[in-house]
Amino acid sequence: MKNKKRLLTGPYLFWAIAFIIIPIIMIFYYGLTDADNNFTLMNLAEITTPENLKALGLSLLLSFISTVICLVLAYPLAMILSGKSVNQSSFIVLIFILPMWMNFLLRTLAWQTLLEKNGVINAVLSFLHLPQLEIINTPYAIILGMVYNFLPFMVLPIYNVLVKIDKDVINAARDLGANNIQVFTKIILPLSVPGVISGITMVFVPALTTFVISDILGGSKILLIGNVIEQEFTHSYNWHAGSGLSLVLMIFIVISMALITKYDKDGEGTAF
Amino acid sequence: MIKSTLQKIYLGFILLLLYAPIITLIVLSFNSSKTRSKWGGFSGKWYTALFQNEDIMNALYTTLTIALVSALVATLIGTMAAIGIQALNAKFRTVMMTVTNIPMLNADIVTGISLMLLFIACRAFFPKFSLGFATVLLSHITFNIPYVILSVMPKLKQTSKYTYEAALDLGASPLYAFFKVVFPDIFPGVSSGFLLAFTMSLDDFVITHFTKGAGVDTLSTKIYSEVRKGIKPEMYALSTLLFVSVLFLLILVNTAPQDNVVKKKKEVGKFKKAANIVFRRVIPAIMVIVVVAGGFFYSSLGKTNASEQVVVYNWGEYIDPEVIDMFEEETGISVIYEEFETNESMYPKVQAGAVAYDLVCPSDYMIQRMIENNLLDEINFDNVPNIKNIGEEYFKQSKSFDPENKYSIPYCWGTVGILYNKTMVDEEVDSWSILWDEKYADQILMQNSVRDAFAVALKYSGYSLNSKDLDELEEAKELLMEQKPLVQAYVVDQVRDKMINNEAAVGVIYSGEAIYTQSQNSDLVYVVPKEGSNVWIDSWVIPKNAQNKENAEEFLNFLCRADIAKKNFDYITYSTPNTAARDLIEDEELRNSTTAFPDASILNRCETFQYLGTKFDDIYNELWREIKSK
Repeated sequence: MKNKKRLLTGPYLFWAIAFIIIPIIMIFYYGLTDADNNFTLMNLAEITTPENLKALGLSLLLSFISTVICLVLAYPLAMILSGKSVNQSSFIVLIFILPMWMNFLLRTLAWQTLLEKNGVINAVLSFLHLPQLEIINTPYAIILGMVYNFLPFMVLPIYNVLVKIDKDVINAARDLGANNIQVFTKIILPLSVPGVISGITMVFVPALTTFVISDILGGSKILLIGNVIEQEFTHSYNWHAGSGLSLVLMIFIVISMALITKYDKDGEGTAF
Repeated sequence: MIKSTLQKIYLGFILLLLYAPIITLIVLSFNSSKTRSKWGGFSGKWYTALFQNEDIMNALYTTLTIALVSALVATLIGTMAAIGIQALNAKFRTVMMTVTNIPMLNADIVTGISLMLLFIACRAFFPKFSLGFATVLLSHITFNIPYVILSVMPKLKQTSKYTYEAALDLGASPLYAFFKVVFPDIFPGVSSGFLLAFTMSLDDFVITHFTKGAGVDTLSTKIYSEVRKGIKPEMYALSTLLFVSVLFLLILVNTAPQDNVVKKKKEVGKFKKAANIVFRRVIPAIMVIVVVAGGFFYSSLGKTNASEQVVVYNWGEYIDPEVIDMFEEETGISVIYEEFETNESMYPKVQAGAVAYDLVCPSDYMIQRMIENNLLDEINFDNVPNIKNIGEEYFKQSKSFDPENKYSIPYCWGTVGILYNKTMVDEEVDSWSILWDEKYADQILMQNSVRDAFAVALKYSGYSLNSKDLDELEEAKELLMEQKPLVQAYVVDQVRDKMINNEAAVGVIYSGEAIYTQSQNSDLVYVVPKEGSNVWIDSWVIPKNAQNKENAEEFLNFLCRADIAKKNFDYITYSTPNTAARDLIEDEELRNSTTAFPDASILNRCETFQYLGTKFDDIYNELWREIKSK
């Protein structure tokens, strides 16, 4: 019986080889060759130029900060949501997916309208005689954009592990005399680690590689590694250097995957 | 009590964060003014305009089709794969799950680029294969499958395999047993996988950006090409409609069972049934009908003119859409129209040849580069009799990049200068030096393109803007670096909205944009600095690999007609080289405006860009990157 079931993987296996594995090999090929198709490590070395290193460093810093903020915002939120009754919470979870039906670019552009010097937020602040908020075209605006766009990817996995925690375990701990803090640190937190890990990777990786958010909210003054790669492909037309830099980025992705496999031993995936 | 209040406040805060931009967009959709920075009063006109805007409706249709088809295919393949993976042994399961995680975790940009590389490599084997609808669809299926697998797997884990075996023992066929026993159990996973896949496909920009071809636009790519010019308000209206309808459905489905807790059980059942019917039957049915009907409509649009078409690749917002309609009506040739943002982003696309464009509108130095790299075909001027309307002087000027006037026909031209706001700048502006004046820190908008930015610095130091002298370039770089802390933002066409909205005091701008901004905000003044500047020409050229050369020439002839050129001028406000059209301008002030039609004294101190060769391109790019990453 099992043999037959395994065959069902066939179409996916074919698909994965054609559209996941081969394209990755193509990136390796371009990343490790020069314009005359000779093997070279020059493209990987591109990352060590001061400009690219700075872009990478800034990307790492900004995405790290955004990930931390997302985690701090999302954990209590997921706790609150997981405490609600099932019907209500499925509605609330959908509320997080709902914004995605408005285009991502439009949502990010709307932040521009909100944050501008003469924008909506400043109009409200000046009406209340409060100091102006001047973060548009700065890294702070980019962090805001990242947190805003990727927060749902942190909330959903954490929520998913939290609702799966057996209430009996918590009750047992209470019966044995644990207080709220102990229940949280000894039971809930350790059990939610897989969700937190998958949330962190789901936020960190897209934040690390974005080029649109930095473009729209950073006034094109701030160059992230995603912008560098995008420019290599669409402006300088240097596919080899672009692929080389993508390969460097993949190191971070491989680390994320290793983390996920480590904490998600069942291979069931906690993402959604 | 306090705890629950705190919880509510916290939820409220998060919801505010998530929905503030959405409310902004909804408000903007009712703004009667065209720029997003000015509130022109309440109006519902964009909603009516939306349904008349064929471009947006086509993009919407493409988006929905791709989302629906890719989600369906991904759900099918993904569910099958999940069941199969479940039956694999641990080792293979880990391998498969790792592969599944790749598109989820891989950066969008890497996934998009890797797929683009694959599709372009495919062209080596199938020369007719080109980027288009199919490649976008394949890519979307690829990144959707993992979402489905990851949604279905947990549900599969929870199902007991004994019920399935019991069904088999009782004589059910495996298929029957699957649909009667397993499928109902995993259905929530399958449907949430489908919903996620649909949403992800709808919201994707990056992957589509890299894998799409000419004439195929989803809402995302359409919006991205509009970002530089300012989003068309119809877009806000469309997003609002989409959002509100989904919200409505959600409320319908989710609140129905809740109200009924108090009511009798029977009714609960009824409502749940109703919700079920809506969710499982009505919505899919409506979607299928929309897609199929749209499909017929779409193919009827495409097919009638399939043989007679012309593929045009132009700057964003650089033609009056009505002109295209008029041309299609008069000639029966359908125009496939695509837009680019910069010369630099256009060039690789034409060179790669993944899409065969018939007509492209690059600027001077880029035309020179295309001629030198043998990408252009000579225009047969016999097919373009209206060329007589174009002023002789513009052809003379074109000789700097097209020495024998064989490849190009001028379309628009203008200067680059400084736009400043009288209320924010007291002094008389006549020099680039204002861009380095610390008084205006954080009030300056610079151009976000290599050549334009260097042109400003080079001219300011008294050099040629085509300088190949490394010392001069170094000096220009130092100047631009010194300027960077004073710059509010590097922009392309956003300078328009920002200047209208008093966001900045001074900006570097193209003369054509200046005319538009002045019509919206009368405090703005345009000057060409005394040190000199750039005079540019954008001209039509026909690439070597054009498939419909004669149609392209017919379109060119149409564009050179005086009334059409005048119509375009009214719409895009960039100076026209069409002297016959200039004579048609009623407004005398505009006809003789030195902003629109600078006189010889201004032009004498301006230079045209020249192509500097790959070596110097690289040097400029390198220096620019140093500035940007400082």
